[in-house]
Amino acid sequence: MKAKPLIPHKLPVFRARLVLGMLLLGFGALLGRAAWLQTIDKEFLLNQGRVRYERVVSIPAYRGRILDRHGEVLAVSMPVKGIVADPNEADLAPGQVRMLARLLDMSVDELADKLDSERDYVSLKRYVPKEKVEQIVAMKLPGIRTENNYRRFYPDGEVAAHVLGFTGLEDNGLEGVELAFEEQLAGRPGQRRVIKDNRRQIVEDIGGLVPPREGRDVTLSIDSKIQFLAFSALKQAVTDHKAKGGSIVVLDAQTGEVLGLASYPSYNPNDRSRLQPSQVRNRALTDAFEPGSTMKPFSVSMALDRHQVRPDTAIDTAPGCIVIGRARICDSHAHGVLSVAQVIQKSSNVGTVKMALNLPPEKMWASLDDLGFGSQTRLGFPGETAGVLRPYKNWREVNQATMSYGHGISVSLMQLAHAYLAFSKDGEIIPVSLTPLDRAPESGRRVFAVETARNMRNMMATVVEEGGTAPLGRVSGYRVGGKTGTAHKLEHGQYVDKYVASFVGLAPIANPRLIVAVMVDEPGTKAYYGGEVAAPVFSKVMAGSLRAMGVQQDMPLTRMQMVSLEKQSGLLPIAYEEAQ
Amino acid sequence: MSSSVGIGTYRRYRAQSAQVNELDPLLIWPAVLLLLISLVMVFSASIAVAEAGKYSAYDPYFFVRRQAMFLGAGVVVSAILFQVEMETWQRISHWLFVLGVVLLIAVLIPHVGREVNGARRWIPMPFANLQPSELMKLFVVLYGAAYAVRKLAYMESFRHAFLPMAGVIAVVGSLLLLEPDFGAFVVIVAIGFGILFLGGINGRLFFSLGGVLIGAFALIIWLSPYRRARILAYLDPWQDPLGKGYQLSHSLIAFGRGELFGTGLGTSVEKLHYLPEAHTDFLLAVIGEELGLMGVAVVIGLFALIVHRAFVIGKQAMLLDRLYASLVAQGIGIWIGFQAFINMGVNVGLLPTKGLTLPLMSFGGSGILANCIALAILLRVDWENRQLMRGQS
Repeated sequence: MKAKPLIPHKLPVFRARLVLGMLLLGFGALLGRAAWLQTIDKEFLLNQGRVRYERVVSIPAYRGRILDRHGEVLAVSMPVKGIVADPNEADLAPGQVRMLARLLDMSVDELADKLDSERDYVSLKRYVPKEKVEQIVAMKLPGIRTENNYRRFYPDGEVAAHVLGFTGLEDNGLEGVELAFEEQLAGRPGQRRVIKDNRRQIVEDIGGLVPPREGRDVTLSIDSKIQFLAFSALKQAVTDHKAKGGSIVVLDAQTGEVLGLASYPSYNPNDRSRLQPSQVRNRALTDAFEPGSTMKPFSVSMALDRHQVRPDTAIDTAPGCIVIGRARICDSHAHGVLSVAQVIQKSSNVGTVKMALNLPPEKMWASLDDLGFGSQTRLGFPGETAGVLRPYKNWREVNQATMSYGHGISVSLMQLAHAYLAFSKDGEIIPVSLTPLDRAPESGRRVFAVETARNMRNMMATVVEEGGTAPLGRVSGYRVGGKTGTAHKLEHGQYVDKYVASFVGLAPIANPRLIVAVMVDEPGTKAYYGGEVAAPVFSKVMAGSLRAMGVQQDMPLTRMQMVSLEKQSGLLPIAYEEAQ
Repeated sequence: MSSSVGIGTYRRYRAQSAQVNELDPLLIWPAVLLLLISLVMVFSASIAVAEAGKYSAYDPYFFVRRQAMFLGAGVVVSAILFQVEMETWQRISHWLFVLGVVLLIAVLIPHVGREVNGARRWIPMPFANLQPSELMKLFVVLYGAAYAVRKLAYMESFRHAFLPMAGVIAVVGSLLLLEPDFGAFVVIVAIGFGILFLGGINGRLFFSLGGVLIGAFALIIWLSPYRRARILAYLDPWQDPLGKGYQLSHSLIAFGRGELFGTGLGTSVEKLHYLPEAHTDFLLAVIGEELGLMGVAVVIGLFALIVHRAFVIGKQAMLLDRLYASLVAQGIGIWIGFQAFINMGVNVGLLPTKGLTLPLMSFGGSGILANCIALAILLRVDWENRQLMRGQS
């Protein structure tokens, strides 16, 4: 080894001790500080930690299903996957954005916009089909995650759209039954306390669980077969007659249960991206219209009830017009002398007015009020109209006259169908119900005498016979009856050449089981009479519904009758085939 | 002739390998323990960040695999450099220092150095990035000790002993501040002047100049309200916990959550994207959360042991008249002790928040490599001491 260089001094030992001592003192200070943080100050720090990452997250409650009277599912919540993003993390290449946009079925601009957000949580799409979710997950994009959601699904699509309504983003009812029965359908969300990491992912449950209360199922009185039948027939008629819209109501004639309720135009509740406000309206409940001649059975029944006339009382309607004050009320054709029954059969305005003017206004008003006009039904539907029934004190003679044949009063189709219960129930009126009833309500409110109601049913049966206003309303195999309505529409206080064609009827006449009310708004073709436009819809729906319910035929036809009937009315040859 | 050299080399080799157990156990075991704790805790602290990062290719093992590789490389390089005699280090120390300066200049050149978050600290290399400032710390120890030994006779002179070293430190310091790497600057200044102090520089001179420098530095900071606010933010991180105090408040929460015995290995919540730099600068906070005060105390204790051993070894070398080896050993002690103190002080909120890694523990290739080499040199000093005491040299 080489020799060490000569050294003049030693190194100062105390300096080394000083430096080492200071370093060890520093370590001691660190230990003391750590001990203070981890024992004395820990409560404060633990609390600061809790504030930062302990969260109470809500556990979504399952929303109850909506079922029809036979247990068919009309609306159900299904667990689905949604895609959410943390825009702070999600810095994607342009190619990735394009691909993601394609998988999410949205435009690149829209997606880029959402990813540009300042927030750290953006829902990109609440529902994404399973195979696309898998593809997105496989892309392993930063800041893009899945989320568990429920999606409301309506198996029948547009058919029952207006009855059911729909839910909003928070799974809350916004329209229809979804809103009317919100209390029952919506569960109460549960809660759990969790620790979340800084990317909002749940790391750990820390107790304090409050289980969610699941929503309860709602069973409706709706019969999905009848509902389908009613919707299809209405849709067909509105389309065929180039009408603005229409509604249909099917009631159980004994219990008041709503078996079918549809409006057109409708919408697909499963895809509401292009929804127009006009499509959402449940016209049968929200729209009031002047019903026209479908009101006549009530006016005439009041006269019968008060023994002012009998069904065979002769009434002179010549010359086809009557002058009241300054107003002139006319029939579409002059009829001459008619019996009371024929006034109904031929729908004579003059005849009806002559009977109605003998009624005391307060009695007429009381009857109309008893029948439910001017007040909402008890269905509890959102946006339901009460119609307009003016107080009798303001009535002048001409008002009373026009009201007797359905003008100067406005009603919803549901109110109209409801009022016809007074005929099917032998003069008693009961409320309508959207939920199934075990049996008819015991105590109805008597509006007409039993005899009056039966007489009126028989008169209405003549409407669909030869010489009536609606031979197309006939139903093979059953004795049916009803009343047509063809009302001028009122626009800005003036009657214009636009019409509401309607037909309300019941069957079987002897012991009614069903009421079907049809309304078609502004038929655009030459045919605009209730008997031409609405009665065929009635016939189709009534025939199918009676058969669906297995109602015994009360007027079996011979084969020859069937053939001639078919030739006359162009009825579907279903009954014919059955007769064979 | 050639065969005798061969035999001599062989004998020396035999002698060394027979005395591997003469490696100072009080130094090597604490170091091995710290490195192993580091491997576990870097894994624990980095797993969430690695799994979620594009940079790490969503591989949860990204950081721990690299740290293990660095550690392996560090052990191999250390084993090789352990063979280098202290005299050789002394002879080549100024060349190493020049190499360090060249690297520090190179890192500032665009396209050579890589800029990350506004700082140019890394030179891209095939397997890992090189951080010249980490190597520079080692070179400053080796060079500073050689300088002090050379100037031993002039230690009373301001012009001959203090000024040249101050100039050299100023140059290196400026290069570091240009990156900028304030943490490395502070450590290198501490090593340089620490060695000068231990080398026996005139005490009055040292303290008065030191006082003036620190005073001037403090004045500069105090006069700029912005800097002052930034520096002093650490005193009350709860005043602005979402801004300036964000990192520190989360570090403190981590310690608080750990309590005495920790939340358990792997269960830190702070590392889940709350606490930035959990696997590098704030590794101690994760240790504090998962292993509690006990874990923190063990880490501090192991550092204290290592630093203490460095000074003991230095003292032994001095008693054996090996002044260079003595200053190198104590320089390494200052380096590891001071840097560990600053890093842990930042973690527990005793010192203002500045970017500085925890020696032997934080994730980082250059740092681990430089620390391992430093330990090898320390072991070499001790080994040479023992050889001398046995009269074997």
